[in-house]
Amino acid sequence: MIPEQTFFPDPALDRAFGVVMALATEVWVLKDRVAGLEAQLVARGMVDREALSREPADDVAREEREAFVAHLMQNLLGVQQAKGTR
Amino acid sequence: MSIDGRSFAAAQAFLLGCKTYWTRTIYPAVREEYQAGKKLEESVLYQYYCWLERHLQRFKYSGRYGLQPYHAQQRQRLEAELRDAAVELAAKPEYPDYYTRIDIHQHPGGVWSDPIAGFVYERGARSTTPLAGGRHRDLHDRLTSVALELSPRPSRVLDMGCGFGKSTRPFYETLKDAEVEGVDLSAPCLRLAARDAAAAGAKRVRFRQMDCARTDYADASFDLVTSTMLLHEMPPEVVERTLAEGYRVLRPGAAMVHLDFLPKDDPFHRLIHFGHSKRNNEPFMEPLARMDLPALLKKLGFRDIRIEPFEEADGVLEPGYRSWRFPWTVISARR
Repeated sequence: MIPEQTFFPDPALDRAFGVVMALATEVWVLKDRVAGLEAQLVARGMVDREALSREPADDVAREEREAFVAHLMQNLLGVQQAKGTR
Repeated sequence: MSIDGRSFAAAQAFLLGCKTYWTRTIYPAVREEYQAGKKLEESVLYQYYCWLERHLQRFKYSGRYGLQPYHAQQRQRLEAELRDAAVELAAKPEYPDYYTRIDIHQHPGGVWSDPIAGFVYERGARSTTPLAGGRHRDLHDRLTSVALELSPRPSRVLDMGCGFGKSTRPFYETLKDAEVEGVDLSAPCLRLAARDAAAAGAKRVRFRQMDCARTDYADASFDLVTSTMLLHEMPPEVVERTLAEGYRVLRPGAAMVHLDFLPKDDPFHRLIHFGHSKRNNEPFMEPLARMDLPALLKKLGFRDIRIEPFEEADGVLEPGYRSWRFPWTVISARR
């Protein structure tokens, strides 16, 4: 095992940015996949692309989105979720 | 878990897009900081520049969407494609330590140890220079033109370090009557070169496994000796032996032409180039740049020695050209 080269003052950032770039790659792969699926569904008349892309009249995803945001953001509070030692 | 072709292509396209942004936008911004007097060791942008240079290449070759694992999934088919390749392999190949110690280009296992390494290298080489893009082939055609100006109608051509044959192809396609010999240490690359040459209908080209610093060719048996991106992969003593070998096999008056990387003699370009050398696992770029090649060539007996910038794509030598590029250089001489 040879330690990887580092470029930032804190090597933790070298590793964390690798995670960011790996996730960014996954995001693009997913976007590409969705675009491919959408194109096939449109071609078969199963999806109305215009309706899919329109700004929604009501916020049907609000509850789901808020749960997602809370799951993400609660990490910043630094509060134990189950009692333990400090 | 295998990776499907669409996901592989999407991930590789994303990485190439990032590399292109790095080439066209991040590099010029780093250069501007340097020219404004900023110390690069204090530049956050330069830290990201370095990180991206190293790790975009790592992602390209390794990991979930890397070239190596993707091709390894297709191992059986790829190995079968090479089964009938007409190539002359050494009975007991000897790989020098400098060649095996480091996986060049961050290609896991290097370009020689895995039977499918030629395919991995070939695919990787398609996106080595983002700006040249689809015109990458031009680079080899352009060098062929330079070589044929120096040696207009060679009957025998030796392409040293021919790899998977990309540099050899314009010679055997242009010179239908010439005998073209491609030599390299990598059996997987030579097999791919031979397969492609056969597919192209080339009859007078041979691919042989050999150390180009010590070939088995007769003295004065070639009219032209070439290499492309070879010298910077070797330590200086091997560069010297390779140039000497070129001299030995050339007929008197015949030309030798090497295309390689020699940075301009200014601190910024040398910092960028030597940093690339380390970050891309190509440790001999820096020693090559520090060699006194004209003096060495003269000592070996060459004459008409020329070290000249090479225009690998239109406009790259213009003063206003700002993107990152390799410091392409043609090193030529005559026996």
